[in-house]
Amino acid sequence: MNRILPTLAVILIGLFVLSLSFFTVDQRQFAVVFQFSEARRVLSEPGFHFKIPLLQEVRYFDKRIQTIDENIPARIQTIEKMNVRADSYIKWRIVDVGRYYKAVGTDQRKAVDRLRNTVNNMLRDEFGKRTVQDVISGKRDEVMDRVRKVADVDASRIGVRVIDVRIKRVELEDSTLTSVYERMQSERKAVANQLRAQGAAEAEKIKADADRQREVTLANAYNKAQQLKGEGDGRAAAIYGTTYGAHPEFYAFYKSLDAYKESFRKKSDLLVVDPSAEFFKYMKNSRAGSK
Amino acid sequence: MSQNDPQWGGRRNDGPPDLDEIIRRASQRLSRFFGGNRPSSPGRGPAGSAGLIAIVGVVLVLWGASGLYVVDERENAVILRFGRYVNTVENSGLHWHVPWPIERREIVNMTEIRSLEVGVQGSTSTSDEAMMLTGDQNLIEVQLEVQYTLNSAKDYVFNNRVLDPSGRDMIVKPAAETAIREVVGKSKVDYVLNEGRGQIAEETRALMQELLDRYGAGVSIARVNISDVQPPEQVQASFADAVKARQDRQRLVNEGRAYANDVIPKAEGAAARLLEEAEGYKQRVVAQAEGDTARFKAVAAEYTKAPQVTRDRMYLETMQQIFQSTTKVLVDQKAGSLLYLPLDKLIQQTGAETPASPAQPAPGAAPVSTAPADTSSPERGERFGR
Repeated sequence: MNRILPTLAVILIGLFVLSLSFFTVDQRQFAVVFQFSEARRVLSEPGFHFKIPLLQEVRYFDKRIQTIDENIPARIQTIEKMNVRADSYIKWRIVDVGRYYKAVGTDQRKAVDRLRNTVNNMLRDEFGKRTVQDVISGKRDEVMDRVRKVADVDASRIGVRVIDVRIKRVELEDSTLTSVYERMQSERKAVANQLRAQGAAEAEKIKADADRQREVTLANAYNKAQQLKGEGDGRAAAIYGTTYGAHPEFYAFYKSLDAYKESFRKKSDLLVVDPSAEFFKYMKNSRAGSK
Repeated sequence: MSQNDPQWGGRRNDGPPDLDEIIRRASQRLSRFFGGNRPSSPGRGPAGSAGLIAIVGVVLVLWGASGLYVVDERENAVILRFGRYVNTVENSGLHWHVPWPIERREIVNMTEIRSLEVGVQGSTSTSDEAMMLTGDQNLIEVQLEVQYTLNSAKDYVFNNRVLDPSGRDMIVKPAAETAIREVVGKSKVDYVLNEGRGQIAEETRALMQELLDRYGAGVSIARVNISDVQPPEQVQASFADAVKARQDRQRLVNEGRAYANDVIPKAEGAAARLLEEAEGYKQRVVAQAEGDTARFKAVAAEYTKAPQVTRDRMYLETMQQIFQSTTKVLVDQKAGSLLYLPLDKLIQQTGAETPASPAQPAPGAAPVSTAPADTSSPERGERFGR
């Protein structure tokens, strides 16, 4: 028992010293070994490394792609002197940690500010050459690409690579906003009026077409009907003609009798008759027929 | 790092690991690192050395056990040896790695659907986030939801710094914001509001994926959904009116159609009536003609047999019928004296409006049409002057 504790103590102390003299560098990190605040070694490969305990200290830098995205839009003027606020994000990575450390030390804020300023200045340049229209839709890619290239050149001085610069938002100022809204309203009004007018025109066409169809239908029907009636009249006339034509004299007599019968049939019909008429010949003389 | 220390004793039912086997494998692996088995220290005292060995043994066993971990169905584990990436464990189940400080594990949830929203009110963002400019310089509010999973644990862990110091996501959300704005910035406002929603979501998804692949983020965008598109509040009324106008157009057209559907069939009906009537007339006229002529023919046939008698008979019958049913005045003109016919009286009594002008007393009969006469006065009925 009296041996156990010291042994354990030795083991623990040994482990402690070991932990001070070895360190691991992660895949995600650069490590710089400092001796009295002077960079001695730059370790860009991950692994297990030795340092002199207590004399040397290790600082780590991020190797991964980092993002600058503060949601603070920059005020920028376009070529038509319109003020917009452009918000962008920057993807960057430390590639040369020695250079990076010399330039900004351990304060990442400095690097971020520098990149941000570079990018915003570039955006100002690019926007200043273009219209709002181009910046928003037409030339957006081109703007971002050029800004990235220039920013990358500048950033390489501090050991940083700019992977990407992307415009997120392009906002209009409040004063322009009002006029944009007004324009939008007038556009909508134009659209609405056009739609309604189109509707009215189309309806009118449909109605007119319907009226035309009605007229044509009725006229055609009238035409057909008259033809039919004519046919009927014609056929009737032919029938009458052939029959009556055979007995014209008798027809006249027969038809006349019919007509008299039809004409004088009511008590209100007053006849003033001359007794010399054929009908009364026997009234005066019973032998009239044998003359 | 959470240490997934398995609890001993029936953690899983599907074949618990053989502990002895694991420890044996562990000691083999260790021997690779420390060059053979440690020489066992010569025992100084049976109790002391045994106790020391026991304690060291227990510590070793515990240390070894700290390398055990469980990978879930949905997870992958990334293994680092001295900070260097070694491999990714994708099979689920119980695994072991050489414990810290030699190897480390990072367990990443791969298939869990992560989602974020852009421009949704009520979340941390302002409504400004939803405001976007379209290609025809209209402002519009777009809200979208993005769902994504991881497709490479290694890329996700090593290539990008995912969270900034304040804990905001720095990978997917910025990509979503820039992508949606670029796509909307290339589209017309009507397209975004109406038929283009699905297409815009798809293009946004593709662009986001492209960006994230460029950054090697190990993220795959499963779905981008545009949950809401609205014109800004200040102009909503006029947009609504434009939508209403579209309805109005349809309504007007429908009214036109309704009119047409009313008028045309009616006209067709009227046309059909005209034709039917004409057809009826035609048949009636022909039938009448045939009837009349048939009757005439029958009489004419008889007439040819005995013309004079038939003639006289017909004449007399007709006259008889006429004189039976009418009012008659017989005037003998040879009387010479002026005959006074009180026609006006007759007419007055019958209440006729206009007497027909008496025709010349022709050899036959001269009709005088008056209104219905009162036939109840026989003394005025028939007079015979001489």
